[in-house]
Amino acid sequence: MANVMGVIYTGEPNPALRELTALRAVAALPVAGRYRLIDFIMSCMVNAGVKNVGVITQKNYHSLMDHLGSGKEWDLHGKNDGLQILPPFLSHENTGLYSGMLEALSSNTGYLRRSKQEYVILSNSHYLCNVDLAGMIDLHVSRDADLTMLYAHQAQMSHSARREDYAYLNIDENERLTGIEINPTVPSYPNELLEVYLLRRELLRYLVDQAVANGQRHFRRNVIQRLVNEGGLKIYGHEFKGHYWRVDSVQTYFQMNMSLLDARARQAVFTPDRPILTKVRDDMAAYYGPDARVVNSLVADGCRIDGAVENSVLFRGVVVERGASLRNCIIMQDAQIESGASLDYCILDKQAVVRADGRLAGHSSYPIVIAKDVII
Amino acid sequence: MLRNKDCVAMLLAGGQGSRLGILTRNMAKPAVPFGGKYRIIDFPLSNCSNSGIDTVGVLTQYRPLELNSYIGAGQPWDLDLNNGGVFVLPPYMTAKRGEWYRGTANAIYQNIGFIAQYDPNLVLILSGDHIYKMDYARMIRAHRGNEADVTIAVLEVPWEETSRFGIMNTDSDDRVTEFEEKPKRARSNKASMGVYVFTWAKLRKYLELDEADPNSSNDFGKNIIPRMLGDGQRMFAYAFNGYWKDVGTIESLWEANMDLLGPSLPINLYDKNWRVYARNPGMPPHYVSASSKVANSLITEGSVVFGSVERSVLFAGVTVEAGAEARDAVVMPGAVIRAGAKVERAIIAEGAVIGAGCRVGEPTGLIAVVGPGVTLEPGQTVAAGEQCCAESMPAKGGA
Repeated sequence: MANVMGVIYTGEPNPALRELTALRAVAALPVAGRYRLIDFIMSCMVNAGVKNVGVITQKNYHSLMDHLGSGKEWDLHGKNDGLQILPPFLSHENTGLYSGMLEALSSNTGYLRRSKQEYVILSNSHYLCNVDLAGMIDLHVSRDADLTMLYAHQAQMSHSARREDYAYLNIDENERLTGIEINPTVPSYPNELLEVYLLRRELLRYLVDQAVANGQRHFRRNVIQRLVNEGGLKIYGHEFKGHYWRVDSVQTYFQMNMSLLDARARQAVFTPDRPILTKVRDDMAAYYGPDARVVNSLVADGCRIDGAVENSVLFRGVVVERGASLRNCIIMQDAQIESGASLDYCILDKQAVVRADGRLAGHSSYPIVIAKDVII
Repeated sequence: MLRNKDCVAMLLAGGQGSRLGILTRNMAKPAVPFGGKYRIIDFPLSNCSNSGIDTVGVLTQYRPLELNSYIGAGQPWDLDLNNGGVFVLPPYMTAKRGEWYRGTANAIYQNIGFIAQYDPNLVLILSGDHIYKMDYARMIRAHRGNEADVTIAVLEVPWEETSRFGIMNTDSDDRVTEFEEKPKRARSNKASMGVYVFTWAKLRKYLELDEADPNSSNDFGKNIIPRMLGDGQRMFAYAFNGYWKDVGTIESLWEANMDLLGPSLPINLYDKNWRVYARNPGMPPHYVSASSKVANSLITEGSVVFGSVERSVLFAGVTVEAGAEARDAVVMPGAVIRAGAKVERAIIAEGAVIGAGCRVGEPTGLIAVVGPGVTLEPGQTVAAGEQCCAESMPAKGGA
């Protein structure tokens, strides 16, 4: 049994995700037709035998509370440990809105102190992947490492657009970490940090307390980068070789969902031996009417389709009426597209409605986002 | 000491359902998959949960493994409770003897101890054979309103089918005056649905009387109900007028699945206030490819469709390869239809693999069945009405 606990930081509001995170944490973003982003890292932790998972939330955590419930979908509802939702504890120092992971951790040192596990896996929640964390834990222990960070090697770096808030690692032939670069104009190293850290619980507590005592604010710069630069500790990288997506803008959100239309990407993420678990809704199977024309799309249970759907992802309970047509769309839970409506490159948030004969067209570089409950 | 319950439900799930042929060779009938997401037992269990009945004994006997693991701790139906919940009740040994359940009444008799723990006012007897949505709470209110000893749910069936059912003749107050088991010339078309509400004290008394009678076949319909009626106990019919389908045969199981494809659903499975719960396999949404054609069908999560699917029900994790066709077909969890195979008017059971170019079923005639886990070699044919199981496969490598 893994002697490891998990801590998931659910992110701060991201303007690049527009309306999608106006009222929800990044971790609560609906993805891939029936999941929320947090399901992936949470399932990875559970699949690695982790029995104690803390989820650090901040303002607007209602959708996460609702989604995670008692944790029983992940078998995290035991008497010992299980799921711990850690809402902000308001004080004169804490306004309920964390500036980042370090502040979030420092507000929850009590949880770290009370937990019993030797190690902690700490993760941000804007990466989507299905990673074998058990393998990472085994390597960490056998190497006697102090800190292991998950990264992905990129054979070809794209320098066309400046990518914000990325960190890159310099890894030697033994996977020892010798340098880290945060948010460079042109990255010097081809290894992208996936923001999953594995270390001793006591070490994390010490590092957080020390950083806060020194008035520091940035986890990666003031804790991780400082440790790397100082040397002294055994810091390793652990390479993730599978498919992964970073969700930090409407465009990357859109591309991530669309790429799951590819069988290889789906097989990489949805492996039967490491299932991705989520809240169950008990919808009936999706119904295709006599006039349905659906091609190259992912469709969740509870949908009723009588129109045309192409290159799209439909979440649970979506209704597409006869004569409606969707292309390149992401339609979230219980949204409705009435007859004769036509949508191209649109993201409809939950319960949004497009009335009969409505027309909306975005562009692949800028999909239109229709906020939750909006009627057009 | 357990806290009292007003009503305990006892679900008879021990039957083999032999008319379902190879589908029930390795599992009890209530465990048979239905409607893309469900197993038959999900309907009575969800009805209990939605009716506020939170203590359910499930009596198993025939091939219980599949059913036991499906029910588990009852979490899918919100029946994983500290006080109450769902209990699987197999036959058991005692110091003096041990025996199988000899009949429906005997099965309940052997579990008097289970019911007595809760000291209920009422006992609801259910069977795990039917597809229907019913609010048992309303039936219980009618039972109380009539100050009944037993209330039997009845459904008006077509007159020409009355000879297949237990028929209730009632007076103007719905009081049952006569009960006829499978009458040749019925005087009423009110058929018993096998759903009974008993006042517990009365049920207990008649179970004990029945057990003491060596000539009894220990059956509710044949023995308990006629005896109570003969003794003038207050017996009422409760009229149910929703969708109710017996799925006891291959043809009726296929038909009940096809019923879900009509333009108007006979049974509303989208109702958010009355969900039919099921154990969830936790798979991603299904994928329909650029080359596929899907119309008038139900498709469940985890399925991957490259071929053509028409008037069919696909369960979780089904694969339909490119060029394969499913028409008027029921394709159960995890089954695979390989490239170029054609499946028509057929039931493909769990985990079966239809090899490339196979032909299963015909445009008319009886339903063809490919049994659980069977792999058809490429090019094989299964005729209408044929049931294909592992033993019936032609031996490999010639004579």
